[in-house]
Amino acid sequence: MAVTIAPAARAAGAEKDKDPAVIRSLIFVRDRGIFVLWALLLIAFSIWASPYFASVDNAILIANAAAITAIFAAGVAVGIIGGALDLSIPGTAALAGCVCGWLITHGTPTWLSIVAALALGAVVGVINGLITLRGFNPIIVTIGTLSAMSGLAAVIVGGYTIPGLDSLTFMGTQRYLGVPAPVWIVAALFAAGTVFLTRTRDGIRMMAVGGNPEAVRRSGIHSNRYKVLGFVISGFCAALGGLVTTALVTEANPAASPGIIFNALTAVALAGVSLAGGRGSLPRVLVGALILGTISNALTLKGIQPYWATAVTGVLLLGSLALEKWVSTTVSRRLVLSAHASTHTGTR
Amino acid sequence: MDSPALELRGIDMHYGYVRALDTIDIEVRQGEVLGLLGDNGAGKSTLLKVMSGVHQPTAGEIRVHGTPATFASPADSTHAGIQMVYQDLALVDAQDISTNLNLGREILRKGPLGWLGFVDHKAQRRRSAAELEKLGVRTAAVTRPVEMLSGGQRQVVALARGATRVAGAERNGVLLLDEPTAALGYEQTQQVQALIRRLADQGVACILVTHNLPLAMAVCDRIAVLNRGRKVADVPVAETDNDQLVGWITGARPSMF
Ligand SMILES: Nc1ncnc2c1ncn2[C@@H]1O[C@H](COP(=O)(O)OP(=O)(O)OP(=O)(O)O)[C@@H](O)[C@H]1O
Ligand SMILES: [Mg+2]
Repeated sequence: MAVTIAPAARAAGAEKDKDPAVIRSLIFVRDRGIFVLWALLLIAFSIWASPYFASVDNAILIANAAAITAIFAAGVAVGIIGGALDLSIPGTAALAGCVCGWLITHGTPTWLSIVAALALGAVVGVINGLITLRGFNPIIVTIGTLSAMSGLAAVIVGGYTIPGLDSLTFMGTQRYLGVPAPVWIVAALFAAGTVFLTRTRDGIRMMAVGGNPEAVRRSGIHSNRYKVLGFVISGFCAALGGLVTTALVTEANPAASPGIIFNALTAVALAGVSLAGGRGSLPRVLVGALILGTISNALTLKGIQPYWATAVTGVLLLGSLALEKWVSTTVSRRLVLSAHASTHTGTR
Repeated sequence: MDSPALELRGIDMHYGYVRALDTIDIEVRQGEVLGLLGDNGAGKSTLLKVMSGVHQPTAGEIRVHGTPATFASPADSTHAGIQMVYQDLALVDAQDISTNLNLGREILRKGPLGWLGFVDHKAQRRRSAAELEKLGVRTAAVTRPVEMLSGGQRQVVALARGATRVAGAERNGVLLLDEPTAALGYEQTQQVQALIRRLADQGVACILVTHNLPLAMAVCDRIAVLNRGRKVADVPVAETDNDQLVGWITGARPSMF
């Protein structure tokens, strides 16, 4: 159905606007395809790795294994959606863990140390954002803050790790209702993030800025503050991920592992979040992280070397790119067809 | 007769040593479509940018509904009820039609959720659908992402976005269109043409820059021609023809003034 300029009388009695079934199903594949893919993987692995794979305990294991990746992936995704790839995440994570550990060992209450570390993550985001606003490339800026933050973390802990942070186990290995704490944290983070991005004015504007800052500016909105907001959220997620990592091993480590960013980026790319910004959804990112966890879990159950999981993930990623390409070309072809079928009236 | 919706007197505009506009007098009334023709580099875009506050004129006076105005920025002209529809960069591709139409004037939910900044998507969709209907425009469903629209549909949405911001207010505004059909085929040009006409009939003042002479003849009430920064003609469409206009555009025909 293309643009139709109808006489006012006809437009007034308009029937419900609906896209044709084909376009709707293509949009469905684009937006929900990753859920289908995950479901297929689950079914396949249930048969292949039966009976160990399809059990509640194993599901919890997968969720827990995917939790860290999911938290960092949320940070990377929000950054990209808001228009900037934030590479400083591993540095912020290391710094948050070390600051929290340092505070705890120096007698600060645990809750206060956690709040301080999270706030620090947001502050790193503000710094990234403000520097980027001055016209510097965000990738370079965040590489700079990555080094600066991990260096700072090492300075704070004197180059060693801080062991024995047992007061953090409540957000590490502790279980609630049988489910490990990191899984609860991921659930809360993604629920809040999804609501923010899709239901609130600031979230929607942030996505719009990621997609087309100039269009937003011309709508009379100060687009700059939304650019900074993206960095703030990704900094917060980075700090949260760093804290959970620290809590799991009860040890703060100043080494910023670049592997964090690659895992997160894989999950994000699998979820179809375009690096161009402005599009993507957190539930898909979560499933992306879960798919990574699912694959390595199933291969481990079957006693297959873990590097095969990496290879399979890479193939999946390329496959999902191909699918997305196919969907978008098909949609534009359909649109050309329907444009030709359009009618117009009411021209003077 | 009441004063023009937008009136420019003695506008000069220099880009360094380049004199892009030379004492331009021009006006457009409510419900009128003014065509602005001229060869490449004649100063058409520059004139629209002066009207929309992107550039500040070196000399001259701007009046909106008879009241003198100075536009220091695009926000000022928007505030005065002037909307410019850009050829590009106007829409957020990844968002749907409704979100694009509501950007910057979102409807929040009632109650505590609204205080938290929650958007009422349903109300926004309803308003967008109603506004599009009032314009007599039928695009795709308002939940369709803009990136899944054809070029003509996008142009119509961009136009509608400008239009809903000038037509909704208590006083009709001014819509500036810089080559809105440049990338469109015959069919889609017809659609945009119909929309411009409909807006004018609702009382919006439109200024249309185009290189498409038949379009200008079909949709405009009056046509002004620029030649190297000077206005060389300003005539009702009924009193001119293709050959005359081409003469003014190329400079083969002497200025009316
Ligand atoms: N930013 C600028 N800096 C310097 N000179 C400029 C600038 N923009 C336009 N000009 C000059 O001003 C004159 C008018 O340009 P303008 O863009 O208004 O023409 P136009 O009538 O819109 O042409 P076209 O039909 O090609 O869009 C030209 O001589 C152009 O070179
Ligand atoms: Mg131009």
